[in-house]
Amino acid sequence: MTITNETTSNGMAALAFDDATGVATITLKMEGRANKINDDFGATMQGAWAWAKARPNLRGVILASGHKDFCVGADIDRLYRERDAATMMARLRELNGLFRAIETGGVPVVAALTGSALGGGYELALACHRRIALDEARVQVGLPEVSLGVMPGAGGTQRLPRMVGIQTALEHIAQGLMVRAPKAVKNGMVDELAATPEELHAKAVAWIHANKGAKQPWDRNAPIPGPQPGSAEARQIIMAACAMLRKKTSGVFPGPELAISSVQEGLTLQFDRALEVESRYFTRLATSDQAKDMIRTLWYHRTSAEKHEGLPKIEDPRIAKVGILGAGMMGAGLAFVSAQAGYQVVLKDVKDEQLAKARAHCEEQAKAAKHLGADGQKQILDRIRYTIAIDDLDGCDLIIEAVYENLELKHMVTKEAEPKLAKGGVWASNTSAIPIGDLATVSLAAQNFIGLHFFSPVEKMQLVEVITTAQTSDETLARALAYTRAIKKLPIVVGDGYGFYTTRVFSAYILEGAQLVAEGHDPVVIEWAAKKFGMVVPPLQVFDEVTLTLGVKGFKQGRHYGKSLDLPGVALVETMVEAHGRAGKAAGKGFYEYGAEGRTLWPGLAALTTGKPEHTGVEVIGRRLLTLQALEAARCVAEGIVKTPRDAEVGAIFGVGFAPNTGGPLSYIDRRGLVAFVAECDSFAKTCGARYAPPQLLRDMAAQGKTFFEKV
Amino acid sequence: MPDAYLFDAVRTPRGRGKENGSLYTVRPIDLLAASLRALRDRNNLPTEQVDDVVIGCVTQTGDQGGCIARFAALEAGYHVDAPGVTENRFCGSGLQAVNTAAAMVASGYFDMVVAGGVESMSRVKMGADGGAIWDPATQWNVGSVPQGISADLLATLNGISRRDVDTFAVESQRRAATAMEHHRFDRSVVAFRDINGQVILDKDEYPRPDTTVEKLGELQPSFAMMGRQFGLDTLTKERYPEVDRINHIHHAGNSSGIVDGAAAVLVASKEKGVALGLKPRARIRAVSLCGTDAVLMLAGPMPASRKALAKAKMNVGDIDLFEVNEAFAAVPLAYMKELGVPHEKVNVNGGAIALGHPLGATGAMLLGTVLDALEDRNLTTGLVTLCIGGGMGIATIIERV
Repeated sequence: MTITNETTSNGMAALAFDDATGVATITLKMEGRANKINDDFGATMQGAWAWAKARPNLRGVILASGHKDFCVGADIDRLYRERDAATMMARLRELNGLFRAIETGGVPVVAALTGSALGGGYELALACHRRIALDEARVQVGLPEVSLGVMPGAGGTQRLPRMVGIQTALEHIAQGLMVRAPKAVKNGMVDELAATPEELHAKAVAWIHANKGAKQPWDRNAPIPGPQPGSAEARQIIMAACAMLRKKTSGVFPGPELAISSVQEGLTLQFDRALEVESRYFTRLATSDQAKDMIRTLWYHRTSAEKHEGLPKIEDPRIAKVGILGAGMMGAGLAFVSAQAGYQVVLKDVKDEQLAKARAHCEEQAKAAKHLGADGQKQILDRIRYTIAIDDLDGCDLIIEAVYENLELKHMVTKEAEPKLAKGGVWASNTSAIPIGDLATVSLAAQNFIGLHFFSPVEKMQLVEVITTAQTSDETLARALAYTRAIKKLPIVVGDGYGFYTTRVFSAYILEGAQLVAEGHDPVVIEWAAKKFGMVVPPLQVFDEVTLTLGVKGFKQGRHYGKSLDLPGVALVETMVEAHGRAGKAAGKGFYEYGAEGRTLWPGLAALTTGKPEHTGVEVIGRRLLTLQALEAARCVAEGIVKTPRDAEVGAIFGVGFAPNTGGPLSYIDRRGLVAFVAECDSFAKTCGARYAPPQLLRDMAAQGKTFFEKV
Repeated sequence: MPDAYLFDAVRTPRGRGKENGSLYTVRPIDLLAASLRALRDRNNLPTEQVDDVVIGCVTQTGDQGGCIARFAALEAGYHVDAPGVTENRFCGSGLQAVNTAAAMVASGYFDMVVAGGVESMSRVKMGADGGAIWDPATQWNVGSVPQGISADLLATLNGISRRDVDTFAVESQRRAATAMEHHRFDRSVVAFRDINGQVILDKDEYPRPDTTVEKLGELQPSFAMMGRQFGLDTLTKERYPEVDRINHIHHAGNSSGIVDGAAAVLVASKEKGVALGLKPRARIRAVSLCGTDAVLMLAGPMPASRKALAKAKMNVGDIDLFEVNEAFAAVPLAYMKELGVPHEKVNVNGGAIALGHPLGATGAMLLGTVLDALEDRNLTTGLVTLCIGGGMGIATIIERV
């Protein structure tokens, strides 16, 4: 047996040919930490492919990766910058040509998925004749492009449906699902599993030997699995996919919509021409404003926030034992995620029954984490201590206070528990609005005092809003951040002030929802308008979920902190709670009635309105809801609460459920244009009230032609 | 009775009607919508005042099923008040749509109608809609042969030779090439762009200007084998017992090209057009339909033209330019012979042999072609006619105003 080893001229792929088996192995190892689809990729693969084809007695090719993942898809930098449709089309043509050359080259090609193949990476794997994956949960495949406002553009919408059928393909493409290898074998997205890289290689060689002259199903006119294109069954599946998508996204995202079009239109066309249809749709999306705005926030800003860019770091955060005060939903959740991250946890409450509930909650969470196995689940649960004894907090490196939103109560528990911290330990309050500085007045060490505002349910919600005061030390911040990273949270760091950032934006949103009701706008249209403009949950529905009682408490608190709340919307919420006992979803009645048929808006709302609005409808309502939130975000920037525009976007999208299609409130302002936005605010201020008055910052930016983000 | 006027005519370029054609990747609804948009935008049409959108389309199944006229109008952004109807008179459909529109306007019931046609032959294959034409019972009771057999029969009956049809085909190519070179189609043709504004096709892509009679002479006639060995010729015997032997002379090079395309024509009363600030380009003098023998099938243009001329109280000599659809070269040749029209007046910018015949759209396209040609040459009267499957003929006479 002779194996010749070479590399491509740019050194980005190792080339090995085994005389004995006739199998050439191309191992991609591009510059950086992952294989990406970019110019280097094109050059590397062209070179590697030409080399492979030139091997005498070549029987097949294995496409492998020298990085942890197989290939993670398109080079986002290039995608983000590109605005020219002709250039984009030309690139896609080239890439599709390369993939076609691979699959029509006359020799079997196997993708060796030793790591994840995502987006363009999975499209590359689809252009191979067989996909064999390592049987490991970390190995994922999928086409997640729609999550960044685009869609698969290298044949994904054409090859996947032809390979696994229309239904499965639509589900995965339109939702951008990523699937672990073991599951992917079941739905056909991966052909075979292997326990080890060696076994994978052996299986690949065996398959190559058994499949001389392999051709893709679409190059031998094989029928696709399931209903055939153009059939009545296929039409039904596609119609259902369209409807489901609209139900979920209200038509906010063209990405999945055009992906479905691409699948349907392409399936009846000759394969190479079908790729052209896909390319056009991809180009349309990739050059669109929405894709740019979504990529900027959901990729760049999110990654930057995840990496804690621009924030203090600490080598050894010295946190092993975490104390949590208050065993409500939040406390219990924090206990579980902390234990899951390996911390020793003390969950303290004043009531045994509350602790019992918390214990049940944690046990349920552990059980749901099936991949951990019984042992793993037990280990996590064993790390949590449920107690009513204050002394059990002794030596905690971090205590997170998650008791009721009440300054006096918070002061009391701080005084009681803070002395139990290990020397120099960090005290964090999970308040959603009370200024951290006000809480820290009773602290023994204000430099170690910080706000960690988590979102409920904490197991699911990624965001944490970290609040620092003027006293909070960088070290405290760094240690707190290290903790948030350990529990896999996405942090934004903001300054101190009533409502911080996310609560201010969120309150502006739901309060304006109530205000619109009070003004006499049709509540059904209010809810739809919010969704139509991209809000994840409509305002009245979410108001019910957080409870109107909380709203009323918030008004009281807000007035204390000098908020002007002289609005019919505020009065409406107060009346609903106080006169009608409509406290929200938990109480079974709020803006909605909750019956066996699901929720319906309470007809009594009509009687609580102040009149009939002059301007109404989806457009004006949607604009108002987004404008007011964007204004609040801009005010937070102006006041220095928000320190980087990045955090304004990440916080609003991941904490408030702000319209992700816009890229965030500041992106929304940029996209509307500062001048137009300010003019619109001024006009709204005249007709709807002073809360629409834009801050000076926006007027200055408009006058100076500035934007929050660089234009692309 | 008010007169019907033509205010404008637009069309897409014609793409090769095969998988390698430029318009193959385009849905027929988008082809049609592009023409409808162009017509609207060029004339600032208030589409809520469009009384109907009448569209010719032959193979109304698959991508072209389900009343494409209505959905194309909506896709084009026409006002919901502008309805839509899809008509099928085989190859005459596009002109039928114009004539229907003209009749609606002339009746006084409607004031403004958008007519047109569409056919993506690459995506929806001829015959994909089935039909009784294929039934043995129809064969026994009515009689039916493939059109190519009819074309060769027509040539045989008229003494038209292989040399004649090939020479005609080369001339069609030459005229089309000259017309394109001199931008004769620019007034009507609107480049087709994709969703990103990129041009997919900006001119007719079917022509082969380098064709010669010698090159065409090398081609085998398409229906010889089918006609002689498989007995199809015999199917004509019942009707034409005197024909001893059909002379098979037609092939891909002297028959109409299979292409994709769409067209739209604005038809309205003078008052309506003037009220919208539009200038009429021509008046419709007469329209006609006729039926002829279903086996010979392609002889309809002659009686249809005579009928229209009679209605318009005109003679053949009163017509300045003719558009006789080049379904097969024998059709215009037989037409010229029978009506005594000089070739100089017929298909002056080439025809379907060079440019292609998108079944449902051709009639509407030819109307635009003759109108443009009359304006180019400062002539007045034009006649458009097409042969139609099932043995029908259709004609329209227009007069510039």
